[in-house]
Amino acid sequence: MSNKAARNLFIFGSLFFFVIFLGLTYDTMGKLDGRAPEITEQINAGKMVWHKYDCIGCHTIFGNGSYFAPDLTKTTLNKPKSYLRQFLMDPKSANPNASMPKLGIRAEEADDLIAFLDWTSKVDTNGWPPKPILAAAGGVAGKELTEGQKVYQSHGCSACHTINGIGGTTGPDLTRVGAKHDRAWLVGHFKDPAAFVKNSAMPKVEAPETDIEKLTDYMLTLK
Amino acid sequence: MSVKYQSQKIAEYFYTFAVVLFLVQVVVGIIAALQFIWPSFFILNFNTIRTLHINALVVWILTGLMGATYYVVPEESETELWSLPLAKLQFWATVVAITAVVLGYIWMGLSPQANSPIMGINPLNEGREYIEAPRWADVLIVISVLLFLFINFMTMLKTKKWTGIQGTLVGGLLVLALMYLPGMVYSKSMVKDQFWWWWVIHLWVEGAWEVIAGALLAFMLMKVVGAKREVVEKWMYIEVGFVMFTGILGTGHHYYWIGTPSYWLWVGGIFSSLEPVPLLFMVWDAFRTTREARNVENKAGLYYTVAHAIFNFVGAGLWGIIHTLPQINKWTHGTQITTAHGHLAFYGAYVLLVMAMIYITLPSIRGVKSFNASRAFQSFWWMTISMVFIVLTITGAGMVQVYMERLMGLDYVAVKANYNLWFWIIRAIFGVGFLIGVGIFVIDFFRLGKEPVPVVTAAPERA
Repeated sequence: MSNKAARNLFIFGSLFFFVIFLGLTYDTMGKLDGRAPEITEQINAGKMVWHKYDCIGCHTIFGNGSYFAPDLTKTTLNKPKSYLRQFLMDPKSANPNASMPKLGIRAEEADDLIAFLDWTSKVDTNGWPPKPILAAAGGVAGKELTEGQKVYQSHGCSACHTINGIGGTTGPDLTRVGAKHDRAWLVGHFKDPAAFVKNSAMPKVEAPETDIEKLTDYMLTLK
Repeated sequence: MSVKYQSQKIAEYFYTFAVVLFLVQVVVGIIAALQFIWPSFFILNFNTIRTLHINALVVWILTGLMGATYYVVPEESETELWSLPLAKLQFWATVVAITAVVLGYIWMGLSPQANSPIMGINPLNEGREYIEAPRWADVLIVISVLLFLFINFMTMLKTKKWTGIQGTLVGGLLVLALMYLPGMVYSKSMVKDQFWWWWVIHLWVEGAWEVIAGALLAFMLMKVVGAKREVVEKWMYIEVGFVMFTGILGTGHHYYWIGTPSYWLWVGGIFSSLEPVPLLFMVWDAFRTTREARNVENKAGLYYTVAHAIFNFVGAGLWGIIHTLPQINKWTHGTQITTAHGHLAFYGAYVLLVMAMIYITLPSIRGVKSFNASRAFQSFWWMTISMVFIVLTITGAGMVQVYMERLMGLDYVAVKANYNLWFWIIRAIFGVGFLIGVGIFVIDFFRLGKEPVPVVTAAPERA
């Protein structure tokens, strides 16, 4: 092959692939709005807050960012909004173990940011992030869940709390909670957490009385 | 040996700024590594430190490439630069603008409210990874790059010697400048924001920058071992051609999970899997060309050139392909695996490239025929061994993270703070090793050609 032929291959080949890329880009741009909810003024304001505090300097969103702190794409699906709001304004008041600094995010900024994160959680991301294979299998292989464990699962408690190493770290570890509190405390706390723990960021457990009892039975087995 | 054209010496200005920023980048990198162990270590939070770490990298590589271009273009065109004062102005304007941007990042880090939008624009930090520079700085950067391209283009126009190397080099730089523009448009949709953002990031590092690397590799092979122009230019065209054929549609591997249609899984998976191929060509090219070379005067230059080709393939190629297929990437996306790839790819593809260009062109800029290369080798091994271990520890951390967080469903914070702690500690230790290597290089850069070369006498004849 002559040098001139090699050069032409480079130039025209690159142009060829770039034209295909432009075509795909055009097609994609036409499809994006259908794959995400409509963007309101508040969602856009939340995106501006995201940029203002350089959130991507620590977190990732759609998996892109800095890998220093959790991905926030689907965070509003797992964490109660009241918790997120308090956390954003003063992380350590909501979770004493938080390493996120207090950035001075105002109440309305927190609401906007949560609206924005609610939007990202509803974007069709081709199934990312995937459901963890082992946790999705549910419970321990072959073993029936108790009534209390079912309530624990259906309310998504493990998004914030850990039992035996599985679960979130935003709320206290419950592995030995039955040794720390009695029935009356647990029942009362489920109904109104803030009355028992100052500044608690946990939402009230909205469930029938029987479910609260089952959940309490389960907690008392954790010793 | 000295430069053929006096204006080539402008390259040293750019190299000096690049070398200083390299040192800054690695020092803040160590602070960032310590923050993985103690998040509240240091007065600036991790986001500011990381912004400084990656911006220093991008800027020093770019200024290094600018310096290299100012050296290559007069030599290829066989004439002085079109305007040396204008090139100096471009240099100082760049330094002032970059310094202002850095001060802005630090100010914002100390007081986040200072970044409150003014007429809808964040004045200090755009809050977008890699291109955090605020809009006013974007404009200055574009002006600087356009002025830089204009000076080089006018120089080429003086003699109209359109060599393949300088055509490819300036072509790559032109694409680089154009691909900065999609990052300057605000979109209300985070999906569109990231879509165009990848045009900048991907089409830079896996497109335009690799084209520049291909052109400079050809130039360096000619300089160091006296390879024939016809041969190196032909292979250069084939290499950079395949970079573009695979790299342009390879952008699709960033469009798997950000809210884009699923056909990108096919496009990105197929084309990005082929991206290592041209990088392997470059390794083969470097070995084939240098194998027969005898009596190479600039051994450090040769060493760095071949090392660049190898680590470009290993870092950008191998560490990329391991997680580029969608069925794998679904689990690894957004984990430390990406960080590991980023570190080895930037080191191999661009850090070693700029250093190779410095070792090849600096002796003639300083007007020396030969120099003591021992520090060049020392710094190479300190840096390379440290970087390999940094990458292995981050890869290990990534594998633990993928398994425990993504497969088992453990909490992100628990995995990072407990199960990966040792990896962070070892990474920080090798970070210090890397800093030692950089320190040796910085000393070498400032002393090269300014101290007497140890006289190598012939071995005394003995019976």
